[in-house]
Amino acid sequence: MYEFSYHRAGSTRQAVSLLSKKEDAKLLAGGQTLLPTMKQRLASPQNIIDLSKVPELKGIEQKGRNIVIGAMTTHAEVAGSSVVQAAIPGLAALASHIGDPHVRHRGTIGGSVANNDPSADYPAALMAMNATIVTNRRKIAADDYFQGMFSTALDDGEIITKVIFPIPGKFAYAKFPNPASLYAMVGVAVSKKGAGVRVAVTGAGSNGVFRWADAEKALSSKFNAKALDGIKAAAKGLNSDMHASADYRAHLIGVMAGRAVAKATAK
Amino acid sequence: MEVLTGSHSHGQGHETTFAQLVAGRLGIPIENVAIVHGDTDKVQMGMGTYGSRSGAVGMSAIVKALDKVEAKAKKVAALCMEAAEADIVFKDGKFSVRGTDKSMAFGEVALQAYVAHKFTGEQLEPGLKEGAFYDPTNFTFPAGVHVCEVEIDQETGVTRVDRWTAIDDFGTIINPMIVEGQVHGGIAQGVGQALLEGVTYDKNGQLLTASFMDYTMPRATDVPNYTLGFNTTPAPSNPLGIKGCGEAGAIAAPPAVINAITDAIGHEDISMPATPQTVWKALQKARKAAAE
Repeated sequence: MYEFSYHRAGSTRQAVSLLSKKEDAKLLAGGQTLLPTMKQRLASPQNIIDLSKVPELKGIEQKGRNIVIGAMTTHAEVAGSSVVQAAIPGLAALASHIGDPHVRHRGTIGGSVANNDPSADYPAALMAMNATIVTNRRKIAADDYFQGMFSTALDDGEIITKVIFPIPGKFAYAKFPNPASLYAMVGVAVSKKGAGVRVAVTGAGSNGVFRWADAEKALSSKFNAKALDGIKAAAKGLNSDMHASADYRAHLIGVMAGRAVAKATAK
Repeated sequence: MEVLTGSHSHGQGHETTFAQLVAGRLGIPIENVAIVHGDTDKVQMGMGTYGSRSGAVGMSAIVKALDKVEAKAKKVAALCMEAAEADIVFKDGKFSVRGTDKSMAFGEVALQAYVAHKFTGEQLEPGLKEGAFYDPTNFTFPAGVHVCEVEIDQETGVTRVDRWTAIDDFGTIINPMIVEGQVHGGIAQGVGQALLEGVTYDKNGQLLTASFMDYTMPRATDVPNYTLGFNTTPAPSNPLGIKGCGEAGAIAAPPAVINAITDAIGHEDISMPATPQTVWKALQKARKAAAE
């Protein structure tokens, strides 16, 4: 790790100000990607702005028909939240399977969403539930926010403050973990809200999280796992590596989608 | 009692097993036995620990050294108790004079051996320190049967090891818990080889499995609880009748796992590691073959 200067922000406003004033500055949320990257000297920001002491970035609450989660809320907090468990149990379950216990107690939803790792779990949930990403400047719909691997709609100096999840009728996520890293090799999130069905796939696409239109269409007419029979995801545009070829990933997308639907509809 | 051994321990529990042997033989508390290994300042010669030699060869050398210690201690006890050496009996940690109620514990004899108050240097050289080397007359031949049961998710190709039952014959066993631990570790290593571990390079020779983010090590959740049993046929080639136990699990596990998979899917052509993708592909082939 190279030398850097550490700054602890006490408020979002202060974090924004530091971010604009300090040269080559990076925000530190849970640090579960940034710190290993710095240790491997793949990243060497001159200034680190720690968000862990910004009180307004934390917390979970239900506001009307929405669940609002502060950007600095850890995965463990989401997994253990009685509010999330009651309103969107599938989201609590997703959070409870991110990484390992150490990662879940440090890693945050804002950090994960800002990083947009193509194998991260949260992007699939946000995409499937049509969540809204709230920043210090604006609100961004999930469909507009995720712009490819490690790429988002965030501008320089923009900080995610919270994520708003409209409470769906049904939601579940099924993950096939990479055998070594346990990141999602294929993760599929499905949700149903009224007549709208959304299916989002993470881990598989070479350009990050994406929606699977064919499955959405099939599930819109009947929301059960059988509706996906005969629907095959295309291997084109999927990752292919030593753990899984694009064909195998395409197959797993179908299997995981079916399992997610089965979970979502289980009584 | 300090035992210097050239047989190095790096997790196999020699400190316990060797001390058990010495404590049992001399009738002294196990905590009074110190096993010293790996310190080249103290241990003059050692060739390491490999091929399960620490029990069969290393402990045989300790037995030979203990024979010498006992023989010397008998001479000390005879002089201390004014008896003929042939009348000294060593049993349960005590040297006693046959047909009398005279006896000395091992510790007392050891003290007298060094202080030499009860005999002269002309009668006997003081001290109680012996060494021995051992070269085995033959290899040992452990044998066993490992039964592995797997469950395969036909949709994803994921293989889960459901149950494991094994019976091994390691000859004489000094410490069953440590021997079981050796088998546990061996099976985990073998399951890793069969299902998970594989070094992969790309076309340009770049190592792709350079970290544990890509190289899959077996984890606790990859192996089941084991049901292990032992059959005991002492090895004829060493004084304790010990056979090697370190390799058994790692040797038995890969064929056991792969045979279980080929049995389950009815397809013979499975290469290791049988990752989910590999098994899924084999399942596709088996289905195609069945349809034709």
